Order: sequence, then C-alpha cells, then structure tokens
Amino acid sequence: MSTFASSPLARTLWYILKRAVQALVVIILIAVALFLVFYMLPANPAQLSCGKPCTPEQLQRVSAFMGTDQPWYAQLGAYMLGIFAGRTFGTGASAVVCSAPCLGYSFRLSTPVTTLIAQRFPVTASIAIGAAVLWMLVGVSTGVLAAVKRGTWVDRLLNALSSIGISSPSYLIGLLAIIVFAIELPLFPSSGYVAFSTNPLEWLQHMLLPWLVLALLNAAGYTRITRAQMVTELEQDYIRTARSKGVPERRIIGVHALRNALLPVMTLFGLDLGALLGGAVLTEKVFSMQGLGMLLLDSVTNLDLQVLVGSTLFAAALVIIANLIVDICYSLLDPRVTLGH
Amino acid sequence: MKKKSLALTAVAALTTLSLALAGCGSSATGLGGANASNGSNTQAAPTKGGTLTVLTSGTSINLDPASSQNLATTTGGMIHRRLNEWKVSKNGDAELVPDLATNTGKPSENGKVWTFTLKKGLKFSNGQPITSKDVKWGLERSFADTFSGGLSYHKQLLEGAQDYHGPFEGQELNSIETPDDQTIVFHLNQSFGEFDWVASLISFSPVPYGEGKNKDYGTTPVTTGPYEVKSNVPGRELVMVRNKYWDASTDSVRKAYPDSIVYKMSQDSSVAAQQIMAGSGDGKTSMLGDLVPPAQLAQAQANPAQKALLATSGDGALEYLAINNERVKDKRVREAILYATDREAYRTAAGGEIAGGYASTLITPGISGREQYDLYKPGKTGDVKKAKALLAQAGNPKLNLTLVATSSQTEKASAIQTALKRAGITVTIKTLDSTVYSDTVRNAGDFDLAISSWQPDFPSPYANIAPLFDSSQIGNGNMNESHYNNPEVDKLIAQATGTVDKAKALKLWAEVDKRIMEDVPVVPLIYSHNTFLRGSKVANFMIGTFPAYPDYLVVGLSK
Amino acid sequence: MSTATSQPRSASAPTRSSQPGTEPGDKKAAVRARSRWASPALVWGTVIVSFFVLLALLAPVFTLITGNDPYQEHRELLGPSSVPTGFGGGISAQHWFGVTPLRGVDVFSIVSYGAQVSLGIGLASTVISTILGLAIGLLAGYFPGVVDALLSRTMDVFFGFPFLIFAIALSAVVPSSFPRPLLLILVLGFFGWPGTARLMRAQTLTLRERDYTTAALVMGASPWHILRYEILPGLLPLLIVRTTLAIPGRIGSEAALSFLGVGINPPTPSWGRAISDAVNWALVDPMYLIFPGMALFLVTFGFNLLGDGLSDALDPRKGEKA
Repeated sequence: MSTFASSPLARTLWYILKRAVQALVVIILIAVALFLVFYMLPANPAQLSCGKPCTPEQLQRVSAFMGTDQPWYAQLGAYMLGIFAGRTFGTGASAVVCSAPCLGYSFRLSTPVTTLIAQRFPVTASIAIGAAVLWMLVGVSTGVLAAVKRGTWVDRLLNALSSIGISSPSYLIGLLAIIVFAIELPLFPSSGYVAFSTNPLEWLQHMLLPWLVLALLNAAGYTRITRAQMVTELEQDYIRTARSKGVPERRIIGVHALRNALLPVMTLFGLDLGALLGGAVLTEKVFSMQGLGMLLLDSVTNLDLQVLVGSTLFAAALVIIANLIVDICYSLLDPRVTLGH
Repeated sequence: MKKKSLALTAVAALTTLSLALAGCGSSATGLGGANASNGSNTQAAPTKGGTLTVLTSGTSINLDPASSQNLATTTGGMIHRRLNEWKVSKNGDAELVPDLATNTGKPSENGKVWTFTLKKGLKFSNGQPITSKDVKWGLERSFADTFSGGLSYHKQLLEGAQDYHGPFEGQELNSIETPDDQTIVFHLNQSFGEFDWVASLISFSPVPYGEGKNKDYGTTPVTTGPYEVKSNVPGRELVMVRNKYWDASTDSVRKAYPDSIVYKMSQDSSVAAQQIMAGSGDGKTSMLGDLVPPAQLAQAQANPAQKALLATSGDGALEYLAINNERVKDKRVREAILYATDREAYRTAAGGEIAGGYASTLITPGISGREQYDLYKPGKTGDVKKAKALLAQAGNPKLNLTLVATSSQTEKASAIQTALKRAGITVTIKTLDSTVYSDTVRNAGDFDLAISSWQPDFPSPYANIAPLFDSSQIGNGNMNESHYNNPEVDKLIAQATGTVDKAKALKLWAEVDKRIMEDVPVVPLIYSHNTFLRGSKVANFMIGTFPAYPDYLVVGLSK
Repeated sequence: MSTATSQPRSASAPTRSSQPGTEPGDKKAAVRARSRWASPALVWGTVIVSFFVLLALLAPVFTLITGNDPYQEHRELLGPSSVPTGFGGGISAQHWFGVTPLRGVDVFSIVSYGAQVSLGIGLASTVISTILGLAIGLLAGYFPGVVDALLSRTMDVFFGFPFLIFAIALSAVVPSSFPRPLLLILVLGFFGWPGTARLMRAQTLTLRERDYTTAALVMGASPWHILRYEILPGLLPLLIVRTTLAIPGRIGSEAALSFLGVGINPPTPSWGRAISDAVNWALVDPMYLIFPGMALFLVTFGFNLLGDGLSDALDPRKGEKA
C-alpha cells in the first residue's frame, strides 16, 4: 500500500479520483440550487404548453405530464434518476421517452437535452477554440514584446491598448464590428454558423469576425499577465547566469524565460477556455450563432427548466474538468509543484 | 463568474427585446410610416420560381398542427391546408373561404352541429389521399398531453372533450363524426355562430390517420399545402420545397410563387433589417419575419428607396392599459385614470404619430361589425381636470399604483407614469422578465396597471372581446388581464356567441363592446400599426386590414 | 491540499493587476517609491474616477444650471418618428448631450444621475464582496483540510452557478416595496466574493509558510492573533488592488442587470438601461449610445488604471525585497 501510494502515477490517479468525487458533489449542489431557484420563480412552465385559450383542467393535465406539479425535491429526484435510468413522460403510444443518460427533455423543442448539447457544442467549440488560439498568440507575443521593451513607448502603447481592451464592453464592440465590417463594408457575413463539415471555407468566413472581436478583447488580459511574468522571470538568477554564459538573448527570452512565464498564463488559459466552451453567450448572441450559450439563454426566457439544468451542468463540468487538467499539467510541467499535498 | 454573468445578462436583454418585437398575436412595438402604404403598390409583379428567405429572431419553428399557434396566413398556412382559410385583400376585411372543404360549413340545430364536405382528389405530401378521418385524427391528436400548446378553441367547444386524452390509446372523440371519406360533422356543447372561423385555425389541418405519435412530429410534418418541409433545424434554418401533390386548381388562396422558402432563425432583428435595407447577401430576396425595430424604421423613413420597402398595416392590435379591477374597484377611479392618461405621450413613446391610431373601442378596426364610438372623449392628451374631479368624487383616495412592465416597455410605462402624475396619481413602475411578467398579469394578479396588446386569433368580435373580458378567462395564463368580472357582460357574451345569424350577432357584439367600456376595465390607448420589411426583389408583399401581418401565402419574387 | 500549490494560482488570479516592471538601474528606493506613487496610471485613474464622483455628487447642481432632470419629457424636441431633431440627437445649450428618442429626456441628466446609481451600487456591493471574500479566503487559506475543502467547493458552486437566473428569480420574488438599489447591492455583493476569496486564500497559504508566521506559531500565538497581526497586513496591498479592480466589474454588472430590465426600476436613471435602449438606435441617433457608453467605458477604464497604479505602488513583493 505504502509503496503503491508513493509512486507518482498512483498519487496522480488518487488525486484525480478525489477531485472527480468532489466535482460530482459540486455538480449536484448546483443542480439542487437551480431547482430551488426555479421553484421560487413565480411562473409555471406548463403555462407555455397549455395552449390558447387555456382552461384550469388543461393546465393541470400539462403540469402533470411535464412533472412540474411536483414539489422541487421530487422534480430534482426524478431528474437525477433520469440521468442514470432514463425517463418517460406520459403513457401509451405517444409517451415521450428520454433514454439514459437523460440530461432532461425540452418540451418546447421536442428534443432530449443530450441531443441539443451535441448539436450546439460544435458551434461553441468553433468559437471558443479559434478565439482562444488567437488571443493566446496575440496576448503572449505582445506581452513578451512589452516585457522586453519595458519602459519604452512600445511598452506604454501596449499597456494603454490593453487597458482599453479590458475596459471595453464586448457586446458593444461586437455590435459595432458587425455594423462596420458586415453591413457598411460587407467584408464578412454578419451572422450565422455553417458547419465545418458542410463547407470549411464558409465556416471560416463566418468565424473570422467573432474570433477577432473575442480574441482582441480577451488578449488584453493575457498581454498583461505575460508581461508581468516575463519581467519577473527576466530578473531571476538563472537568466543572469545564462546571460553571463553567453547564451543568445533571443534564446534566453524565447526559451528560458518564456517557458517559466507561461505556466500561470496556461492556468488562466485553461480556465478561460473551459468557461467559454460551456457557452460563449455574448458572442453567440451578437453574431446569431446557436451554441450552448444561446441554448442556456433561451431556456431561461422560455422557462425550459430541464434544458437549463442540463446545459448548466454540462458547462459546470467543463469548467471543473478544465480546472483539473490545469492542475495536472502543472505537476507535469513544474517540478516544484506536487499534487495532493 | 463576473465576466460570464455580465455577458449573460447583457445578452438576455437582447433576447427579451427581440422576442417582444417578434410579437405573437399581441404585438408590442408596432410602428408605421406616416403615409406608408400597406404594401404592393410600388412592387414589381411576382414571377414563379426562386428562393425566398425569411429572417426571423425566433429560435425554433414548430409546425405541428396540434401544438402550433401559427396564424392562418403565415408560415403554417403555406404547408398546412385546413377546412377553411382566410382570403386577405388589400382593402376590405379578411374573407373566409373554403380550403379543404367545398363550402365554409353548414350549421344546423341552431349552430350546435356543423357539417363540412371535403373536396375530392386532395393528397398529402406523401401521396396519400386526404379523407375526413385524417382531419378528425389531426384534431384528436391535439387532445393528447404530449401535443398540447396549440390553438385550443375547439377543445372548449366539442362535446365530451373535457375527459378526452387523445387517440393514441384507441379512444375516439365521438363528437366528431365521419360518415364517409368526404364528410365531417362536429357536435358542439353550445350554439356557436363562428365555428366556421374556428375551422380555419391550424388545428383543423389533417394529419395522416395513425401517424404523428412522436413528440417531434412538428419538426418535419406531412403537409397538405404547396410546400413540404425539407429540413428544420432549431436555431438554424427551415427549408420548404414544393409539394408535388398540391393541386393549384383546388386552392383559391395560395399563390405559391417561390420554388423554395428558407427561414433563417435566431437572427438579430436590427441586423437582419439592416441587411435587407442594404440589399447585402440575400437581402434583396429576403423579408423580415419580425416587426421592423423602431430605429431601423426611423432610418428607413428618412430614405425614399428604403421607405418603399416598408409595408405598414392599418389600425391593428388594440394596445391598452389594463387596470386590475380586483384591486382598483372604484369605477370613478378607473375613469379618472382614463382621463389622466396622455395618449399622445404614449404614442410618441411608442414611436411617434405613425405608431398607430388613437383607440376608443374594444373591437378593433378591420373586424366586421365594429361600431366606432368614444364614450368618454378624453382628447389626445387627456383631461386632467375631469380626472381630478372624479377623484374628488371618489373621496380623493391616496393612490399609489404598481405598473408592471417588461424591459421593452419601459419608455411606454414612463410615459403613463408621467401622465398620471398630473392628476396626482402616483405610479410605481416594476420591470419584470417577460415570463414573470406574463405570470404576474395573467395569473397571480399582483399588480394594478399593465400595458398590453391584443390581436384576435381570427377576425371576429368573439375572438376580440371574449378572451379579454369574459370572466372565465381570468387567470391560468389567459388574457383577461384586467381581471374584469361582470356577470351581466358574461351573459351578453354568451348570447352573442350563440347567435348564428351573423348580422344579429354583430349587432349584439357592438352592444357588448359599449357595455364593457361603461365599466372602464381598461384604457384603450392606440390601435397599433405594424410595419414589416421586404427586400427589393420581394413582390406581392402586402398587409390586409386583418391580420396586421403580411400575407405570406401570396408573396413572390420579381425578376 | 486539494488544489495544486498556491503559487501558480496567486499569479493567475489577479489577471488585471500586472506585476510591476522594476526600473532598470540603481536608483534609490525612496525615489522609486515616490515615482511609483506618481505613475501616469495612478494619476489618470484618480483624475477619471474623481471626475465621475464629482459628476454624481454635482448632478443636482447641474439640474439647477440647465433646468433639466432625468424625468421630464421634451416631446417638442422630437420629430414625427420620435427621433430627436437637430444636431447630434438634439445637442443644444440647454441639452448638452441631447435628448433621448421616444420621450425626449435630457441625456446629460441621465448620465449624471446615472453616475450616482452606478458608483453607489458599484462601491457598496464591492464592500460586501470584499469583506466576504477576505473572511472566507482567510479561513480557507489558514485552515487547510475540511474547512478549506468545504469553502473551496462552495466557491466552485458559485463559479458554476448561473447568476442570471438567480437575479431574475429574485427580482420577481422580492416585493416591490423593498428598495431595488439595496437588492442589487446585496445580490452583486453576495455573488462577487468567490474571486476575491480565491485570491486571498492563495495569498494566505503563501504567507502561512513565511518565517515570521512560523515563528509566531512556535511562540504560541493564537490563530486569531496570527491572522490578525501576521497575515492580514500582508494581504492588505493585494486586497486594495483587487478591490479597486473589482469595482468596475460590479458597475458593469449593475449596468448589465438594468440592461436586462431586472436592475434599477424606471424612472430612476441608469446607464445600463440607457445603453440597452440606445443600442437599438445606434444607427439613427448614435450620440444617445455614445454618451452613456463612454461614461461606462471611462469609469471602468479609470478604476482599472487606478488599480494598476495602486498595484505598482503597493506591490507586496517589493516590500519583501526592500
């Protein structure tokens, strides 16, 4: 046992297991909170499916069918059970079956939530990954540049630009970008999403503007943190030693300093990317792309509780997994960090 | 967390707004051009062929006749034929014409039994012949819990429908008889003079007997109109192509000019309007499925070329200030509110002199039988003196009224607030999310004032008055938002509803209209004008007197 | 411990507070310190923030000068389609920023009175979230094991929770007699603490390992004493920076909630509501969007500059080195 536990691999596995259990608890808590809040909301989701005009009997029938006539804990229980065992709404030939793992069923869209997530995820992933790569490139290179040229006008200019980037409300910038680049000078399509598998070129055309807006605003934060880390690293002893040994400056900056400076940048990157993959709400809305963010938003507007819970849980899981990956990568990249202690 | 929540909230506001603008029966922000036409005057002639694009902020399109609430002359009308259909003309009221049926229905037993005969040789998009059994099956499906949510007027009328749970367990609804493949007979639980109009709703579209068991039937249903559904992906697009089994000679309403129609969903209405006005991308062959947002409307009006692309309805939906009659019980106070209201200020906040005409009656223009009257004559800006006098009569109660509003109504709400203040009535505005707003107004009743709007589901005084003022329509999400409960009026409504003689019924309805206004349950504000937008190559784009929406059935593309 | 050691987190959490670049050369520490307190970021940040504080405080004075308040309608200034007539959305000697479409309300009044709302709610809610964040972060950082695991998971729940839903539900549930600004302060404050807490926790973990803390522990100091006298002073610089940088976030969230329609109720003016209205009019009456939009941007910018400047001036690491 003791030899097993002390081997690095076993420790890593044990750590992952522990974190996974904790993640599960967090996810359940989020689900409980969502059901509670939703129950608190003075509106009955069945109302939206009652028809026009709606009689009290009809409303009762619809509530019973959707299960919204139950107290919140019963709804929560049925939902949780459904994840493992699947669910059936109604009886007979027209019953709605949602097979396990059932993250819920959207009565409004007549689709299981897992299918919805599968449909929407590629959209969000396209936005998130593309933009993330772009902002990482822009942010890190400008950060390094600012650090190397610190104190000069280049540094000050980059600092000013990143301050502006951080302070800009992205929904306004996004709308302005559409007005200028898609409508006034029609360089890009204004909105919509074309699947990569349908037409890669059109996919790229539709993605460019959202990528640019999202990346340029987000890069500002990365510029700053990269600059700060680089400045710190460049003052470290090992850099001085390398310099005194005559290692070329390009190599010192590009390899030695940057490698260490990138660790915290990667942390931030992992967390940001994880959060964005769960739904790039703003970008999706402004550019009319139906990703996970819009799914979540529509579910709020339409009181689609099961979609709301399902997509929130999915997003929360992504954030938690991103967190975990970041922590594990750390232990692999940085010998000073050990897991589980 | 912080960043995400900010993004989320900001974005939700946009959604709420566009949803409000999309309007569904009750239009919120209707605006119109001062002298803008209701369309088609300056448009080139339509030709057969081409692809028409509809840009909409809606995120999903449900085409299930059982659970859809689509208007007869928009999307649903293009794919689903029903017993009767509306023939819209530019000038003059919407006309009821037979669609699947050979005539608009024969009432007997004083309007309690209605008989329809189907045309011969009609076919579904799958090639199967359409029989009366399919119409019956379509209606029966709407009773299954799985498929609730559609236009349900028939559910309250058909005999024995209360305990009926749909056909999927083998039960039939006996009040619908199909003596042969061409004949269908409806037995109602009351005399109902306007059942012929009810039979024009989408719920009266056939579904092939035995089909449509699955909840997602409405994504790509079997159709009967000139188009069938090729694909329908929520949030992306709906593609309709020609249905080769549709026979133009049997259809007096649908023109079916375009070869295909593509709905692009989840569009931002402002951006979409901009695209259509600029003619960029598919803009020239597109039309806007939503109302034109106020800013784009103002923009288009300043540019003659763009102004020609607008079509504005005449006096349409009634926008009114609902007074919660359960909380504001004194009729003199309600009358004082009416006199204190500044309808000019309201109309300015709604978009200016072109937002609509001033309203005084409850039955809206464009509905046959409407009689114009103005019981109180408060003038455009109200009569503060009279309001104060009435409040004095009522003993000068200290009034602090809560006005609930959605985020898209704040300007209008502020205008009402400012106006009532003139008479010493304090109004507190409470803004709510749109779903919570609906629940507050149509269920809980925890409010004093609300701004609302109503366009009937079919052009008859019944659909105009009963949903808003019959006491059975209080709560449960129904539209009697003023919680108006007057047994005398209920009786009058029942009497008018049961009158089969159309002329007599219309007279009764006009009386009901006035009788209700004597109690001032609501303050009529304006009859909103809806403005829509087409691309420069979209032809035959026009809005009749009813409904205040473009007639999709006749739109085509010009060369 | 459940997470990887604190060092990387402490670097990653304050994304906005750049660590300072030390000036090359061998200047004296005092000179360096003084120049840090006179950095352009700090000066400009202070100027911009002070400007808005003054604008908010003097809003009633401006009303006396121009005779405008954010409630009065000026319908006579609107054209037939309810758009303001005249240059720049009706800019005139009386209406410095023009008037709004639809009702003709003075935009300058909206911006100045809106500043009261934005700053007031931003500051008050930040105070709440800072106190919560500090307390929870300290506890989690100082008591590893169960307490830390519990608090850290609570933070995770808050991070993963859709704040929007909660805000909507609450705005509907709370009776209209409850003052809305107070509600917003509480909601924003209550949901704003996890970021600060995470940062404070990481920093506490680092400080705990310091020699002087260990020394105090060996000498038998109580946990309270150590937290109060050994750790808290070490946290303060970072806390001040973090707080300054959190304020613009709160202001933005308030604007976003008002934007959504569940924020400040009309007729009380709010930047967020003005922006959400103005977005629709951007192409017709751009000035209506530009003034409140610029105000929001500038306040955010000002607080960010101030935070950066403070971070440079107060940098804890420098204190150690000296």
